[in-house]
Amino acid sequence: MKRLRRLLHTPEAIAGALILALLIAMALAAPLLFPGDPQAIAGPALLPPFRDWSLPLGTDRLGRDVLAELVHGARTSLAVGLAAAAAALLIGAVVGTLAGFAGGLIDEVLMRMTDAFQTVPSFLLALAFVSIVGPSLGVVVAAIAISAWTGPARVARAEVLSIRERDYVAGARVIGMHPLGIAFREVLPNALPPVLALSSVIVAAAILTEAALSFLGLGDPNRVTWGSMIAEGRTVLRTAPFLSIVPGVALVLTVLGVYLAGEGVVESTAVRRSLS
Amino acid sequence: MSVLAVSNLTKRYHRGGKPFAAVDDVSFEIGPAETLALAGPSGSGKSTIARLVLRLIEPDAGRIDFEDADFLTMSGAALRARRARLQMVFQDPLAAFNPRATVARVLNDPLRVHGIAPRADRPRRIAALLERVGLDAGLAQRAIHEISGGQRQRVAIARAIATRPSLIVLDEAVSALDVSVRGQILELLLDLQRQERIAYLFISHDLGVIRAVAHRIFILDAGRIAESGDARAVIAYPQSSVGKALVAAMPKLVRDRP
Ligand SMILES: Nc1ncnc2c1ncn2[C@@H]1O[C@H](COP(=O)(O)OP(=O)(O)O)[C@@H](O)[C@H]1O
Ligand SMILES: [Mg+2]
Repeated sequence: MKRLRRLLHTPEAIAGALILALLIAMALAAPLLFPGDPQAIAGPALLPPFRDWSLPLGTDRLGRDVLAELVHGARTSLAVGLAAAAAALLIGAVVGTLAGFAGGLIDEVLMRMTDAFQTVPSFLLALAFVSIVGPSLGVVVAAIAISAWTGPARVARAEVLSIRERDYVAGARVIGMHPLGIAFREVLPNALPPVLALSSVIVAAAILTEAALSFLGLGDPNRVTWGSMIAEGRTVLRTAPFLSIVPGVALVLTVLGVYLAGEGVVESTAVRRSLS
Repeated sequence: MSVLAVSNLTKRYHRGGKPFAAVDDVSFEIGPAETLALAGPSGSGKSTIARLVLRLIEPDAGRIDFEDADFLTMSGAALRARRARLQMVFQDPLAAFNPRATVARVLNDPLRVHGIAPRADRPRRIAALLERVGLDAGLAQRAIHEISGGQRQRVAIARAIATRPSLIVLDEAVSALDVSVRGQILELLLDLQRQERIAYLFISHDLGVIRAVAHRIFILDAGRIAESGDARAVIAYPQSSVGKALVAAMPKLVRDRP
């Protein structure tokens, strides 16, 4: 309870947490609120919002329920964003820890690889990956992860470089612990806080990347996503702008909510650390 | 027969682009259940010798025989296994442990790494280790940062003896402690030496402490051995200029005690 209060100590953090809570509730409740296929025809085509209370946000070009699509889209956005960010943080933390802890040739090779990934613009990398392997949810997650792990890897490596000089690491060597055991049991957990501090930015970027991929038609074709909704709406932008505006606003709010809530968490832990 | 025999050990670092020897052609031996003190002013190379002996850093020249085996050519699993016999206690007992660890985890690690006791048996072993160093077995579940400095140093000693070593390197192990706690820890070390026949390489800049526990002493000056001999004799009649300076730095009360 005390932790929660500290977490919500700024209006920005409260706003972020509220948006995020609403979003998660939407994503979790999607199959209950709108059972069945959100891509099924639900009424007349291009029904404007707020006309028919059984279809509150109206329908799209094909007569699909916009609200149902929006709520199911939240599911995809969040799932892809969280999974991709988790994968990116995991890969980054492992690569950064190995590089920083091993040093020498292993460090050199791993950091050159990181450089190589970083020089290619991350969206192009994701785009290329999906184009080659083919669009599906897992591939989209992997594509976003391989374009986002380099930041966490660098942060983890820097942290590990300072931790590996501490006495307790020498102590672990003295008791005969295996180097991999020292790297992953003793060093990695203590190097995590600054790496996790990147997660809000990475989740937000992952959600945007997923939307951009879907917008270009490279999302999973079997799922509604906000990006594909925006792309659909674009064809009737003059006559029915709300079809693009509704998912667009949802996307902006989500990214903002993730970012604000994430910063709130980072700040509350930073406050806690400076207090202790 | 010696537990540890060090010969012609040399370690060079660079200072301002120029190489200098932090440890310069140092040789010594430690026998079973013997305490050899390593004294010297700050920066004279004491900790570097400790780290060399423990294979935490590699020397530029010299030879180290531990339990009559060439220690410097050991590597990988053989080296890790041999480490059970050569342990260390650090100066700052807080820095010496993973900041997230509990006392139980700190003591479980050596038992796990060296397969000393089956998993089910370890809580009992941990309790016995705690009691051996004069701590309550109930301390096991506490976090390392929750207990006092003196308790922490006792935990460090318990971890060092968990693998039944023949030699423990103590680098300024009592320097950070209050005087009263320091006396208790020295008592514990002497008692362990008598019971388990452990040899100590006892590093300190404090000759008062050294006189209380050491059999022999080496005084270092800028990486070289300035003088050596029976601990009480050297402290009573230092010959080298560093030796005289270290004796002069002792509190007078301690110096005049027989
Ligand atoms: N990693 C290192 N790099 C460069 N110089 C070092 C390093 N470690 C120790 N030294 C230098 O070696 C000398 C001996 O240091 P140390 O063994 O820590 O001395 P002591 O423990 O006796 O105070 C000092 O001059 C110190 O600055
Ligand atoms: Mg030192």
